[in-house]
Amino acid sequence: MTAVELEFNFDTAKSFVQEVMERSDQNLLACYQCRRCASGCPVGEETGYVTPDRLIRMLVLGDRESALNNDLVWKCVSCYTCGTRCPNEIQTARVTETLKKISKETHQKPLSPKVAHFHSTFVSSALRWGRLNEIEFINFYEIKNTLTDLKNFRFKAIFSEMIAQGQVGLNMLRRKRLHFGFQSAKGRKEIKRLYQRAKTKQRG
Amino acid sequence: MDIGYYPGCTLHASSSLYDVQSRRVFSEIGITLNEIDDWNCCGATSAGKIDDFLAVAMPARNLGLAEAEGFSEMVIPCSACYSRMLVAQKQLENNIKLKEEINAELSKKVQGTIKVSSILEVLLTPSASDELAAKVTKELKGIQAACYYGCLQTRFPFKIPINDDVENPQGMERILKLLKAKTIDWSYKTDCCGASASVDDETTAFNLMAKIMKDALSRGANCLVVTCPLCQLNLDAYQDKFCKKHGIQDRLPVYFITELIGLALGMSPDELQIDRHFIDGSELLKELDLI
Repeated sequence: MTAVELEFNFDTAKSFVQEVMERSDQNLLACYQCRRCASGCPVGEETGYVTPDRLIRMLVLGDRESALNNDLVWKCVSCYTCGTRCPNEIQTARVTETLKKISKETHQKPLSPKVAHFHSTFVSSALRWGRLNEIEFINFYEIKNTLTDLKNFRFKAIFSEMIAQGQVGLNMLRRKRLHFGFQSAKGRKEIKRLYQRAKTKQRG
Repeated sequence: MDIGYYPGCTLHASSSLYDVQSRRVFSEIGITLNEIDDWNCCGATSAGKIDDFLAVAMPARNLGLAEAEGFSEMVIPCSACYSRMLVAQKQLENNIKLKEEINAELSKKVQGTIKVSSILEVLLTPSASDELAAKVTKELKGIQAACYYGCLQTRFPFKIPINDDVENPQGMERILKLLKAKTIDWSYKTDCCGASASVDDETTAFNLMAKIMKDALSRGANCLVVTCPLCQLNLDAYQDKFCKKHGIQDRLPVYFITELIGLALGMSPDELQIDRHFIDGSELLKELDLI
């Protein structure tokens, strides 16, 4: 485990930390690095150097690049343990969620394309019909993954993903957990209109 | 008693057994679940990672629908749906402008009056739990349950008080006590199972689930009991795989709380669809002479 060298840029530091604080609604300046968040984080073993407190430090120091591209942002499972235990009530999961959104909006290449694909496909599937149809969602998700892997010539990854998903699907079929019926909500138009509103707002 | 009921997408699909069990169990103790008409997906844990406005708008429509149907309370068995609905209600309460903006597009406006309840909250109201205790026909002797709550039953991204301990909840334990089942004390009851990571980041999810499993086994549990359909599916469907990867020999059936209640109330395994488990759910019950 090696320490990441933090990049400091005076011009961008202030505006970036402000943006993240506003959007996540968290006072990151209140963090006094007690590391209760770090000791409770269930994905700590997977994220290596970057713990919630260190992510906050990156943001305060304005290292935009590191803050958007680290394992914590992409492996955070939004379990809200860090925020529940923080003496200053900083909910770092809302920060990682905000950083995922900023990454998408600014068209960055996500550190974990699968995680990004999962959430974007889930939301578009749920919006399309008003309710989530699991098989349709998983299919679209796997198509996105395959395209990313193809672009990067990761043929082995495509193959192992197909095998793994095939096994899960078969198991689910055997246990009568695969649902072939279709579900939708008539009122999805209202949600779509709201989403349009959200997107216009974002652009504005 | 009549209350509103939001099943959510998964209770109409891969976890429809939870829907069947919930309806049966509640009707047995005198509570009729009325499914909200034309409900939509709550956005689950994904919407909040894509768009903040959408993350509130999706659950908001359901709150409006339920209120318009005249319910003062709505029960949500799925932890993710429950959490999203509760959080959206809180955000709308805190932000009048946001509420107006969302209401502008909704045919059934959100007032903010409905009580959003988890399945445990409803089962633990004094009248429901008295009724439950009185209706037990089969005591669940021999069950040693590790009650697993996961994240979203007790922890929220906003300050929302709940009627249980955040890090050591007791709701399921209290219910299982009424059914004369034993529960274990353990450390991983509110740890995360990885949620969607089982699909998009398997290594992480498997590490998390292996820890949960090891602790439950080392403390002598003979089953896991859950309220969340995603925790259930993860711990059940991937159990064989993550146990093999992490050198764990034993396996544990993963029951929904409604499954064990149903059994205690005398319902048959067929009625409760116990055959829909990945790790055989009936083996332990046969061993303990419960079916």
